[in-house]
Amino acid sequence: MNTIIIENTLPNVFRQRTDVVSDVWNQVVRLERGHVYLIEATSGTGKSSLCSYLIGYRHDYQGRFLFDNRDIRTYSTAEWVQLRQHSLSHLFQELRLFPELTAMENVLIKNQLTGFKSRAEIDTWFDMLGIADKKDVRIGRMSFGQQQRVAMMRALVQPFDFILADEPISHLDDENGRIMGQLMMDEARRQGAGVVVTSIGKHMALNYEKTLHL
Amino acid sequence: MKLVWKLLRQHISIGQFAGFFVANLLGMLIVLLSVQFYQDVIPVFTAEDGFIKNTYLIVSKRISAVSTFAGETTAFTPSEQDELRQQRFCKAVGAFTASQYKVYASLGMGGANFGTDMFFESVPSSFVDTDQSQWHFDASHTEVPIILPRSYLAIYNFGFAQSQSLPKLSEGVVSMIPMDIILRGNGRQERIKGRVIGFSSRLNTILVPEDFMQWSNQQFAPEANVAPTRLIVEVTNPTDDAIATFIQDKGYELEDDQLDAGRMTYFLKVVAGVVMAVGLLISILSFYILMLSIYLLVQKNTTKLENLLLIGYSPARVSLPYQLLTTGLNVLVLVLAFVLLLWIRHYYLHMLWAMFPQMNEGTLIMALLVGIGLCIVVSLLNMIAIRRKVQSIWKRKD
Repeated sequence: MNTIIIENTLPNVFRQRTDVVSDVWNQVVRLERGHVYLIEATSGTGKSSLCSYLIGYRHDYQGRFLFDNRDIRTYSTAEWVQLRQHSLSHLFQELRLFPELTAMENVLIKNQLTGFKSRAEIDTWFDMLGIADKKDVRIGRMSFGQQQRVAMMRALVQPFDFILADEPISHLDDENGRIMGQLMMDEARRQGAGVVVTSIGKHMALNYEKTLHL
Repeated sequence: MKLVWKLLRQHISIGQFAGFFVANLLGMLIVLLSVQFYQDVIPVFTAEDGFIKNTYLIVSKRISAVSTFAGETTAFTPSEQDELRQQRFCKAVGAFTASQYKVYASLGMGGANFGTDMFFESVPSSFVDTDQSQWHFDASHTEVPIILPRSYLAIYNFGFAQSQSLPKLSEGVVSMIPMDIILRGNGRQERIKGRVIGFSSRLNTILVPEDFMQWSNQQFAPEANVAPTRLIVEVTNPTDDAIATFIQDKGYELEDDQLDAGRMTYFLKVVAGVVMAVGLLISILSFYILMLSIYLLVQKNTTKLENLLLIGYSPARVSLPYQLLTTGLNVLVLVLAFVLLLWIRHYYLHMLWAMFPQMNEGTLIMALLVGIGLCIVVSLLNMIAIRRKVQSIWKRKD
């Protein structure tokens, strides 16, 4: 997948509103593979909705999303599965980790599906992100900041053309945020992927090529 | 897969699954047992008579006190036979020819020797439904094939053998014992061998081939020529009302021991049907327990399933653990039900054999097919239901 086009879209709940001023809603936005984008938003402007639409989780919008000029409403279940496994990685704002599994198991459950990274590579990431001692700790017993790092690793154990990071460092200090941003950018560059980061305040310190206000 | 299972086995209720397991086992066992019992018992009553087809009826004249004292004959005259032949329902008529000489037969068996005076009868060969090369007499070989009424064997097994502490005989064993027969008449005597080739439950006579009867009557009673007292009639449809009406009008009688067996069979069919219905009902209810249990499980694990789908697991892959679980349970139920069936059958077969030594045990194939069929249907329904439930999570519908 090389381009994502957001074409005159608007969440259905905003349909009655006339005061929508946005760089994204009701506009034509083109996101290219290999570029880095920041979407800045304030609460209630539909950031989570945008992410849900892009990952195929929700469809309550008007307008169109085009992946390589194809309307994503026409995607079949199997195509969405392929897309989520091979083309589009998503770091959820609410993380969506499994509290019953350990930190390592949470990463492995995805890696077993894609077979993308070796165990050694994942071990290195745990070291880099400073949670090597938490590998065998259940997610439910970790802080949100620690969980965010595990979620980032899980988002990276797959091939992708675009990575969509929804408020990835909201609960991290600057240093850890920097390390995580670096890890993500290394992977994205290696794969030549596009990066889309959202933020409602604190955002990853990356060289954004374009900033869009939602 | 291990990690997915670790996630999805959360909230599995052992109690609910045990409940399903026991209920399904009971339902399956009752269904299989009814099928198997039916298979084992019905042949005792409906054993297709190997020699006389069901479309053959045996007609005789009614014997009453009046006819006995008045000296009326119970033989059929040629005109009566023709009249019968002309009936719409009638395809062919054959006469029973009786032996006109003395017959003494003895059976040697492990030292014991039974002998009795008896008689033979024959019908035209076309009415005897057996291999014609076996149903044949050759004067040079002097061995005659014989078909005995099945009731004779029952009389021996239950009346005689029981009281005399003699072994009970199966049909197969009797067929292996050679019979010594002495024919006397016309100032002559001859020894021949007899061999029982089968038993008939529709004939109340000792049947020999027609060519033997012609030869022996000529040899030992050349002068005698007696009209037949019984006729064998081939009809197009034995349930035709016209037959009963004609028989009644003429004061004839039908030998029909099939009637009682028919009633018994019907009764058994009804009982087996009711039992099977109860078994199926229990199976259906147990299926509901399982479905409710699975639905509850899926409901409790909705978030997990949704997250698995969002990180790239396909609905099929997410459904698989639950599908394997239910299918595994169903197969286990089938195997266990079958083992229990064999165990129970072992007991009732012993009882049945004591009552019907000539009984051939039915095959297990029907019960096996029904069991496998039921297992497949239930498993398929389970799999579809689980898949649909997961699909509804994908579509975010409850």
